[in-house]
Amino acid sequence: MDSDQILDLLTAEIGEVVPDLAGRSFTRAESMAELGIDSIERSEILINTLEKIGLVLPLVQLHGPRNLGELADLIHAKLAAA
Amino acid sequence: MPNSPPPDIVISGIGVASGLGYGKASLIEGLLAGRDVFGILARPGRQAQDGSTAFIGVELDEPPAILSPRVARTAGFGARVAMAVLDEAWREAGLDAVDPLRIGLVVGGANLFSRDYLLMAQQTAGRLAFVPPRAGHVYFDSDLGGLAASTFAIRGFVHSVGAASASGAVATMMAAEAVRSGRVDACIALGAMQDVSYLDLLGLRALGAMGSVRFGGQPGRACRPFDADHDGFLFGESCAALVLRRGCDVGAGYGTLVGAAAVADGQRGPEPDGAGQRRAILQALTQAGLTTAEIDYVNAHATSTPKGDEVEAATLRDLGLGHAWVNATKSVLGHGLSAAGAVELVALLLQMRAGMLHPTRNLDNPHEPELRYVRGEAQPHSIRHALKLSFGFGGTDVALAIRSP
Repeated sequence: MDSDQILDLLTAEIGEVVPDLAGRSFTRAESMAELGIDSIERSEILINTLEKIGLVLPLVQLHGPRNLGELADLIHAKLAAA
Repeated sequence: MPNSPPPDIVISGIGVASGLGYGKASLIEGLLAGRDVFGILARPGRQAQDGSTAFIGVELDEPPAILSPRVARTAGFGARVAMAVLDEAWREAGLDAVDPLRIGLVVGGANLFSRDYLLMAQQTAGRLAFVPPRAGHVYFDSDLGGLAASTFAIRGFVHSVGAASASGAVATMMAAEAVRSGRVDACIALGAMQDVSYLDLLGLRALGAMGSVRFGGQPGRACRPFDADHDGFLFGESCAALVLRRGCDVGAGYGTLVGAAAVADGQRGPEPDGAGQRRAILQALTQAGLTTAEIDYVNAHATSTPKGDEVEAATLRDLGLGHAWVNATKSVLGHGLSAAGAVELVALLLQMRAGMLHPTRNLDNPHEPELRYVRGEAQPHSIRHALKLSFGFGGTDVALAIRSP
């Protein structure tokens, strides 16, 4: 699984958690904050994505990325290291 | 400066949901018809997975959508019902025209959503690393009030109060006090839906409080308040909201809350206590400046449990209320637990406005024949002064006295 596939998973989960954004595609430069996603929604999106890829990880380890691309890269790196 | 008399507190807006449907019109029409809405409970989490339970009761239809899909997916069924009920009351009372800082909300009911928690426990079993983050806030009793205040412009205060089956009545009393004291100009009392799980129902059955499966083949006959064949209450989903205002601000509304009392009777469990009930009624009447002779209608707590009905009937008889019409709204709607006191106060007010009293279903052989029951058919009657009684496990007895407009 590569970073783009993880971005696809994140995109699908964003649509599930925030129905207003369902069916949209996102660029790697966009951030959840810019999309109006609140912190509880962000946590739910991350937890759902981690479950989809079977990765158990404290959410605190996913702090730091500034946009969806960096987030997908970070999750990809964590998955590769698991 | 002379003290001014306390302002009249009136009910200026109502929202309600019951097995008869959403809204006041379906409630009064179904009550007066004595419609049968009982069946076997079917909502997920209401029956044991091995199919061994088969609880009789009443369930609601899906509520009108008030919340956006984004918020609705985070709210349980009972919360979505509450928003629909609040919306009806809010619009009728015209609360958009009231300063949000001067609007309060008292949520009646605690531990409201145990069915949701049961389902969450089932859904997260074996995948505990992926418990959703909302699990961290939805179990607080503040969540329903928070959802209400984030949906409607309520910025005065939001509290919840728990008094088991008396919660809706206690919430009404506290909302009235908040308006009377000047803390706010409008206060909503919400009798919130108690979304019980099958575990709660099994406990109630073990306690001897719930009706048996004796009428399993005829659910419509199982709930029999004040009847010789009663053998326990039947759960019925419901929810109601009442908007309390000062009469000098909004006029007569549905009626005036002229007296309200909630007393502790010292019981921990489900045992009814006649002394507490009498004390609550007499306190409410004293506050109202009324005698029992002036009460012409009682909306009884009347759960259909043998001990509860017997003690309440004796209370009414001993206080000299044998002349007053009595009916049992639970015979039509089932027992809404936390919601019951508010829903049944709504039933009282709608009957007051209609000039009609609804029949008590299944009251074929009253075990206390001296009381003046409404049974068989709806009865024309112009209520002048009425009592709403509401009693909760843990020993809370509430009496509300209402004067017609």
